[in-house]
Amino acid sequence: MNDMLQLLWIPFVATVLLTGIHTYLGIHVLARNVIFVDLALAQIAALGASVAFMLGHPPQSMGAFAYSLAATLAGAVLLAFSRRASTRIPQETLIGIVYVVTAAVTLVVVDKSPLGAEHVKQMLVGSILTITAADLLKLAAIYAVIAILHWLLRRPFLGASYARDGATHWGWDFLFYALFGMVVTSSVAIAGVLLVFSFLIIPAVIGTLFCRGVRGRWLLGCLAGIAASATGLAASFAWDLPTGAAMVCAFALALVLAGIVHWVGRTAGVGKRILGGVHIAGTALLILSAAWLVLQPRADHPVLDAVDAVWPGARGAFLGAEEARELAEAESAAGHYEREVARLNAKERDSRWQGAPLEDEDLRRLSSYVQSFNEMAKGERFVAREIRNRARARQRWILGVPALLIGMAFWFARGVAGIRAAV
Amino acid sequence: MPRAQKFVGRQEIAGVLLRGALALLALYAADAAATVQVVTTTTDLQSLTQAVGGAAVEVTSLTSAGQDGEAYQPRPGDLLRIKQAQLVVRVGLDYDLWLDPLLGQAGRAELRRGGAAYVDASTSIPLLEIQGSSVVPGGHAHGLGNPHYWLDPLNAEGITANILLGLARVDPGRTQTYERNRQRFLQTLAQRVRDWSERLRPLQGVALIAHHNSWPYLARRFRLRLVETIEPKPGVPPSPAHLAKLAALMRSQNVRGILKAPTEAEAMPHMLSARGSASVVTLAPSVGAVPTAKDYLALFDYNVAALERIAAPVP
Repeated sequence: MNDMLQLLWIPFVATVLLTGIHTYLGIHVLARNVIFVDLALAQIAALGASVAFMLGHPPQSMGAFAYSLAATLAGAVLLAFSRRASTRIPQETLIGIVYVVTAAVTLVVVDKSPLGAEHVKQMLVGSILTITAADLLKLAAIYAVIAILHWLLRRPFLGASYARDGATHWGWDFLFYALFGMVVTSSVAIAGVLLVFSFLIIPAVIGTLFCRGVRGRWLLGCLAGIAASATGLAASFAWDLPTGAAMVCAFALALVLAGIVHWVGRTAGVGKRILGGVHIAGTALLILSAAWLVLQPRADHPVLDAVDAVWPGARGAFLGAEEARELAEAESAAGHYEREVARLNAKERDSRWQGAPLEDEDLRRLSSYVQSFNEMAKGERFVAREIRNRARARQRWILGVPALLIGMAFWFARGVAGIRAAV
Repeated sequence: MPRAQKFVGRQEIAGVLLRGALALLALYAADAAATVQVVTTTTDLQSLTQAVGGAAVEVTSLTSAGQDGEAYQPRPGDLLRIKQAQLVVRVGLDYDLWLDPLLGQAGRAELRRGGAAYVDASTSIPLLEIQGSSVVPGGHAHGLGNPHYWLDPLNAEGITANILLGLARVDPGRTQTYERNRQRFLQTLAQRVRDWSERLRPLQGVALIAHHNSWPYLARRFRLRLVETIEPKPGVPPSPAHLAKLAALMRSQNVRGILKAPTEAEAMPHMLSARGSASVVTLAPSVGAVPTAKDYLALFDYNVAALERIAAPVP
């Protein structure tokens, strides 16, 4: 637990900073309708860094930083003008083209230096767990400067973002994208492309769902973003998941919850609506799984598997005494073989460094045992599955057909009720 | 008639030049016919083939130094190289699967599995971590066995035996030369292995962590104790729970070194080393992965020297 707190508190503080600045920029990005601009700018910065690497500047040197910055500024010019050019073609099209072409050029540039490829990958993947206190301070300093600029220049920036096409000076667009590029480049290196996209878009969307003003949207978005980040970090620790991916899923969950709250809040007769939704979903699930069981009893059945896992007796009811014994035997034998494999693998690993070393012949013998035990475990698992399939074949008629009829009865009852209500 | 004379002179010079060029071309052609053209999938096999073939072979590796031999995307030029090769040497197992479509496209029967010009260097090597061909691999444990077998220097005996058999098939006239080259190489290697083992003796029992499960063969030969990997599944970043487990292991087992390849990310090993007394050691997984690892012997010279620094007492 102590290790976890030590590991996670710096990443958590980082996510608070990231949420704050990205939610605000996300509101601008939504207003400008340039959803994928962060991907394009991160890729452009990575191209600058890889060109620097090719020319002999080591990663994280001033040279690499200068090339990255120059590339970002060039990208900002390109994006500022793409808005002007987008009278006939949507701006997102041009952004997509910029992204794909820069990614391809980067691949060509780094092809000759494998270390460069790893470096570019690091710039775009990031790993929020490895952020150090020093990184955090640097990040806070950069974000503070950019936040102050955004505060001082909030009128022209917001004006430019909410302006109709072409009704603003391109210089404001350029400055916006230049600052935006610096934020995104530093955050993508820490959190990765997927997570930065979530930080940028999802809290801003949640804020926009509920509030009209920029300040309200930002505050609500920040709260939602921080809650989602904390949930994602905790889930990633509790269930042993990759952190960035778990956090993106937590952001999606927050959006779904916000969507439900929004929908419920706007509709009259909430209780009835929710009951109706549950009714439709439940009936549809019942009809689909019953029909699937009747059609393909040997295929995967997630609903029945869940029932089996929660209540093993349900399957036993469809098996004879002999079959139930066979099933138990097959499962215990499979467990036995799997334990043997684990034991032999551990023995081999330990022999690498302690005790008498395993001679080549002994190693070959051990490997052949491991292979046979693996095959035998697989065989026992196959037997268990066959017995389960036998139970499923009986469930097909005894469970599947009645469940299908009940589901359809519910469906039609609702349909009749609906017609009556309409009449 | 100075003018005419000058003209004749020019013609003569041109004639001499032309004859010279033709002679050079013939020489080159004869030379090309004499040397056996071998293509390998990795630089390690290139170095070992060069050791057996000596001056009689010209070896090209399809992947360049430090490129990931497992995730390589073939180039159009590779097909040309395979078409012109007299012998193709591969790592085998699940490692260089990208070679199979190239061999198919080349359309030469002798390049197929079991053909005269085809060498699978993994044949008869005592492999680690075999789980069975039908078992779904967990992490890096490929079902057919861990493919990094060249990192045990004594496996070079089996690898060079496979290469020797291949060269003897396509160039039987020089079999004896190849055998002599191989014996000389293996003698040098055996001497070096004794020296390397001696130097790494202080490291026995010292707990180490690897970024990726690339070093089981190195560990077995030099009796290194690798307790855990940072990335249990390649390409999937470790979860916080796994990192917490690593941090606990580093304390309880007194982990002294974290091994990584030059192409593997720095951030994770450095963060872990900052939390304990372990140093981060960059090892070369292949010939050419670091500038000093110029050939197969230099590869182990470099790796042994890098590992030795872990065993050295902290100043």
